[in-house]
Amino acid sequence: MTWNRAADPGSDFASPPGAGPSRPRRRIPALALGIAVIAIALTAASGAVAARTSPAGRTAAGVRAASGSPLVIADLAPFTGVDAALGPIYDASCLAATHQINLAGGVLGHDLTCKTFDTRGDPADAVPAAHQMFATTPNLALVIGCTSDEAASVVPIINANKMVMFCMTGQSEFDHIHYPYFFRLVPPDLEEAYAMIDIAHFFKHFTRIALAFGNDIGSQTFVGPAIAAIHKVGLKLVANQTLDLSATTFRTEAATVLAGHPQVVVTEALGSADATFLSELKQLNGGKMIPVIGTSATISPAWFLSVARAIGAKTLANNFWADNLVVNTAGAAFKGFEAAMAAVKSQTKGDGSFSTLLSAPGAVHLYDGMNLAALAMIEAKSTTPSAYKADLIKIGDGVPGAVVVNTFAEGVAALKRGKAIRYVGPGGPTSFDSYHDSPGIFQIDRYRPNGSVLVAADIPTSQLRAVS
Amino acid sequence: MSVFIESIGFGLVTASVLAIAAVGFTVQFAVTNVLNLAYASIMIASAFVAYAVNQAGVSVWVALVAAAAAGAVISMVVNQFIYAPFQRRGTSPIGLVIVSLGLLLIIEYLVQALEGPVNVSYTMSQGATVIVGDFNFTVVQFVIIGLSVAFMVGLHLLLRYTRFGKALRATAADRTLARNCGIRTGRVVLLACLITGALCGVAGTVFAINAGTFAATSADLFLVMILAAVFLGGPGQPYGAMVGAVVIGVATEASAALITADYKYVVAFVILLVVLAFRPGGLFTAGARS
Repeated sequence: MTWNRAADPGSDFASPPGAGPSRPRRRIPALALGIAVIAIALTAASGAVAARTSPAGRTAAGVRAASGSPLVIADLAPFTGVDAALGPIYDASCLAATHQINLAGGVLGHDLTCKTFDTRGDPADAVPAAHQMFATTPNLALVIGCTSDEAASVVPIINANKMVMFCMTGQSEFDHIHYPYFFRLVPPDLEEAYAMIDIAHFFKHFTRIALAFGNDIGSQTFVGPAIAAIHKVGLKLVANQTLDLSATTFRTEAATVLAGHPQVVVTEALGSADATFLSELKQLNGGKMIPVIGTSATISPAWFLSVARAIGAKTLANNFWADNLVVNTAGAAFKGFEAAMAAVKSQTKGDGSFSTLLSAPGAVHLYDGMNLAALAMIEAKSTTPSAYKADLIKIGDGVPGAVVVNTFAEGVAALKRGKAIRYVGPGGPTSFDSYHDSPGIFQIDRYRPNGSVLVAADIPTSQLRAVS
Repeated sequence: MSVFIESIGFGLVTASVLAIAAVGFTVQFAVTNVLNLAYASIMIASAFVAYAVNQAGVSVWVALVAAAAAGAVISMVVNQFIYAPFQRRGTSPIGLVIVSLGLLLIIEYLVQALEGPVNVSYTMSQGATVIVGDFNFTVVQFVIIGLSVAFMVGLHLLLRYTRFGKALRATAADRTLARNCGIRTGRVVLLACLITGALCGVAGTVFAINAGTFAATSADLFLVMILAAVFLGGPGQPYGAMVGAVVIGVATEASAALITADYKYVVAFVILLVVLAFRPGGLFTAGARS
């Protein structure tokens, strides 16, 4: 049976009885206006740009901020799209760091505030977001975020505006291109890929490996180095599946992985992809979970929550390992970080266990980056990025005779006493190279069923070099 | 070979979800003459209604009814208060597509503003795994296939053997002629929006059950698959949409097994383009005149 439409298409529906085009209504303009207003309101609400304060006056990068006006730390990261979980983690870190810094008196008479800019995890959206950030943000003092999703497109823009940035990208291109204003406290992605294969080989003694990574830039960057590492140490790559992050089922991909009889699946597919993929993998494997190794990005409240809901929290806790940057959970630095995070807990927007956030690399290491930048401004007696960026390295790596400080308040006190300082935060000591990379060292994390993170082991540098 | 056969089974599950959505979409298009791209966002909004009910401790299968009601109400409101006024003003079909695209974003952002950019899951069990030959299904997947078949049969009976079905078909074929024959086309359109909206709500919830976890923007790619199924079968053709859903669903999964998962959606659309090259009006449009 088919329905054959009228030969004069549109003539019937365009003019229903008593309501032809000749009878204009006022409803349409009002309706259109209403839609426009709702659209604008929703766009604002959804976080294209979300300001926590309204600092007065605008200052271009490189110009000293007006006395007493708040300085802005911009979180330029995905808040929507498949990597939407990343931005809120950095924002939580920003809120915690600025809370502590403001409690300790701020920076040179300025309080610090946080402002978010949504890149949607897409370079095409990130470029206008970056331009908007510079055009609309008064007293911008520091940029954080810039994940692998958008770093390649926004780092040159931020650098051209002479603005210091702490980026959460591991992309290898930043290992050999010098951007004077670019800093990162996370390792190159290839190091992280090696770390995951290290866990599979040395820690768990698996020999048959399957890879399942998302089709986004940030995830695909791990695949090449992981395959190279697998071959280097003589393991067998039994499957390599790319997961389309906008897809809603991965059953065929899961069946293909299972057909290779892997002992472990190495993965990073953010958004809902890993949750769906791993749950289908478990289901197709007769309800038995295959061990999973994730990247440091999988140490995230949102990732834990979605995967735990899909396969069960206990199953996840029993079958999951991830590489992560070392987090010093003992000592004054971590206590300060923990207290700061607890103080802003009610303001954080992310989903999932708050305790997971305390081990998330985006929270810990950006917190360190912001403290470093704030102390560098005080040391340089300037909030101008071009003036304080050199002190950032000095305070991070330390100079002979420098006093080690673990919090911003300790650092300010030591600087007031005229001491040289070295800041060592919860992410451990920094060691910047000529490209301003401070790769750190790795540990192996696991989840508890409640979402909190426990450290299973450290990864010795010698082991990492063996797989690289 | 077994992964390929297994993938056919997965394709049938995908096709089942797709069929419910595509049939609702195409019937709505036939009756209202609006290519309602906001359909995907109404699906997700309905899925979130079911989620809210489910989180209150109600079984997701009962929550499905709430989702159907939500889908029906939203679709009716959208048609009566947004699309119909634009149509009365003589807005062109392409103009209405843009309006529906705007609505898609508005509803998605509204859901996201309310729920946050998070992935949620229903509290439910997928049930035991049943292996039949090389096919591998969960009990829930069997239920989804069964639901889809039931809805298709129900819709067939409604269209073929009821007065309302005949009125709906007449209205879809030529509204002016139907009106001149005494059919109250306004009421038919209203009821059609409620029915297709209910299908939309069911499709959204079944889609979310099948995916295991979902968020405000989860149905974006699925919308493209719905459009592919609809245009493969012929826009406005419910039986065409059913066949289109099976072809797109199975082709997507089978190509992932045969070639690579990277291009599984591309393969489905290559099939669509090839079919449209030979039958521009789709498989079920009489004589392929369009």
